[in-house]
Amino acid sequence: MQQGALADDQATPMPRPDGAYANYALGAPYDEMFARDGTVREHYAALAERLATLPPEELYRRQQACELSFLHQGITFTVYSDAQATERIIPTDLLPRIVTAAEWARIERGLKQRIGALNLFLRDVYGDARVLRDGIVPRSMIYGSRHYRREMRELSVPHGAYVNVCGSDLVRNEAGDFVVLEDNLRVPSGVSYMLANRDVVRRAFPAVFRRMGVRAIEHYPRELLTTLRSLAPFHEDVSIAVLTPGVFNSAYFEHAFLARQMGVELVEGRDLLVNDNVVYTRTTSGLKRIDVIYRRIDDDFIDPLIFREDSSLGVPGLFNAYRAGNVMIANALGTGIADDKALYAYVPRLIRYYLAEEPVLNNVETFLCREEKSLSHVLANLDTLVVKAVGESGGYGMLVGPHASRAERDEFAQKIRADPENYIAQPTIQLSTAPTFVDGVVEPRHVDLRPFILQGEETVIVPGALTRVALKRGSLVVNSSQGGGSKDTWVLAG
Amino acid sequence: MLSRVAESLYWMSRYVERAEHTTRLIAVKLESMIEQTHEESHASWRRVVAALSAEKHAKDAAISYDFTNILTFERANPSALLLSLRNARDNARQVREQLSTEVWEHLNRLYLRLQPITIDAIWVHHPARLFREILEDMHALEGVTNSTLSHGEGWYFLELGRHIERAQLIGRMLDAHFGATQAAAPKYFDWLVLLKFCTAFEPYCKAHTAALKPDTIAEFLLFDAEFPHSLRFSVDRVCDALTRVAPGAAPARRAAVERLAGRLKAAVDFGQIDELMGGGLAPYLAEITHQCEQIHTSLYASYIVYGAETVL
Repeated sequence: MQQGALADDQATPMPRPDGAYANYALGAPYDEMFARDGTVREHYAALAERLATLPPEELYRRQQACELSFLHQGITFTVYSDAQATERIIPTDLLPRIVTAAEWARIERGLKQRIGALNLFLRDVYGDARVLRDGIVPRSMIYGSRHYRREMRELSVPHGAYVNVCGSDLVRNEAGDFVVLEDNLRVPSGVSYMLANRDVVRRAFPAVFRRMGVRAIEHYPRELLTTLRSLAPFHEDVSIAVLTPGVFNSAYFEHAFLARQMGVELVEGRDLLVNDNVVYTRTTSGLKRIDVIYRRIDDDFIDPLIFREDSSLGVPGLFNAYRAGNVMIANALGTGIADDKALYAYVPRLIRYYLAEEPVLNNVETFLCREEKSLSHVLANLDTLVVKAVGESGGYGMLVGPHASRAERDEFAQKIRADPENYIAQPTIQLSTAPTFVDGVVEPRHVDLRPFILQGEETVIVPGALTRVALKRGSLVVNSSQGGGSKDTWVLAG
Repeated sequence: MLSRVAESLYWMSRYVERAEHTTRLIAVKLESMIEQTHEESHASWRRVVAALSAEKHAKDAAISYDFTNILTFERANPSALLLSLRNARDNARQVREQLSTEVWEHLNRLYLRLQPITIDAIWVHHPARLFREILEDMHALEGVTNSTLSHGEGWYFLELGRHIERAQLIGRMLDAHFGATQAAAPKYFDWLVLLKFCTAFEPYCKAHTAALKPDTIAEFLLFDAEFPHSLRFSVDRVCDALTRVAPGAAPARRAAVERLAGRLKAAVDFGQIDELMGGGLAPYLAEITHQCEQIHTSLYASYIVYGAETVL
């Protein structure tokens, strides 16, 4: 046989009758597409049918088209590894993640309830502090938090909405129910990827998309604009700006995208100045007043006169203008006290306390070591739990019980006993898997779900989400900085 | 419009103009080489280098390969094509939301296309082809810039950048061909190439026939009112654009820059080629360049970096 012919045969194998997922290994407790007996779940049927008719090389071609489209649009983040900064796209997986109408209805109800309670909590903490007097949340947890902003005391915010844009991370537990893993209440990002993914994936599967009745998400920018407008005390001719740290920020694309889609100005700190407690932008025609700022800069950097004085990203005098009521800032400052790891455990209690309702969406079960009963449970079960230090993030100060040695566990137990208030523990969470197109084959990969909730005068959730996916086999880490990608999320109409 | 945005649009446009000019010079030079002896070709390359202000970086260049590499890819050369494109794109990125998707994607694609290419990869077969293709892409970019952006204030800042840059590039180009510093006196073929460098060959022939006379060529490139790569055309565009930017600015803030532009327009409107050709061309071109720089500085002071105390 000639060598050339052999090579050709290898390059284009015949598609097998069972299509692209012949070797799809079901290992996780819950897979989004396949039930435990290997049958395709009903809401994935139309997609599965279409996939069965597409040879892998066609899928590959469509995947390439998606990636090229992202590169051309400049939807990239910059990696500063060597002298030459390289631009990378955040990988988008071709195969959408599908959520049924019933599942979505519950998510929507649960998240509205949750953001409602969290905003009531923030108003309370920066106001009468009833929740502390009633002993629902310990005082030390609030006043000891580095996200607590004394400067926000007694300051009223429009509609009591401290958090105007929230991105909550949901995962499925082993029973297949969505639970909340964490809330992002400061400057959550990712919504531009939700919209950009839709744009390219819809083009890859136009017929299936139409047939399945996927709900639209394109109105997100308009809803965001409405939310921001509702914060201004007067409703005509409100001047709004998106405040970005600048072009070197990894989420810059999103800031520019949202500003463009809303039709408002994208500004950097150096474009703004404060005179007599009024905020202006410097324009070619002179100074122009700004009424509402959607800021994508952390609290610490927003005003060097009040917070970090070494910040060059912020605007000197901005906070005083805010206190004077001359400008609205979304999200409000100091919302970070409501999304740290320890407070998370209290959210179900806050929902009961403020709303007198049972939580629609549960938390991942969390043990607070500051509570005696939990402490003894944690110490007795260190080999099955993940223990996290409250003040740390990014995997620091953490013990993964099942993977730790006896000596490591004993050492960690000492630390917990010495400072129980600083630790929480959770069972190891198995994320659900969804079919993902990796290196020419469809394989299961772990996913989470981040919907975006808006609260101003109204509370609105656009029926869609960012699905983040861990592209490494078996990995549970979905962060884009650590090999994560994303998927388009299709919420079905009914 | 935000001052910072106006600044980025202005620079994006200057760099795009510089990139287009560089691309065209290299394409025409590579295509015309086959008609020239080695000495003629070298003298011609020297004029291209002078027109692009790259003398310092190209002083050791000996063959076309060197010149092309330095003018296109050399990182140390601030006027290299790749750097101009990168600077244009960096400025565009800063004001991504002000541009149309078409403009951004054309520019982004243009940069991404050239960025991975090396001189050795293009040198094997017909290197001029790449530059012709890039030139076509640049024309497409100009097309979508005109047809997909609103012709409002931002567009006029693009116009300002384009034509202030173009006026200076024409000045340097003429200086390299008529100035005292030239290495060897141009011949007939060199005048033809000069016209092609400026996309002027066909328009010139229509106006003055194919009889190529240096004085007429200089007059055409300096003073023709209708040809879009003449100095006069660019100066007119600058004057027009200045009346359209910063619509809300007080007359006092506009006065300085508009006066400078008016002075430049007078210098061009009343320029006489026969007065200049007797040795007055070099100082005239130097004066034009100087006035363009003054307009640039004044534009900044009026609209981009003014202090808050001047307007409150």
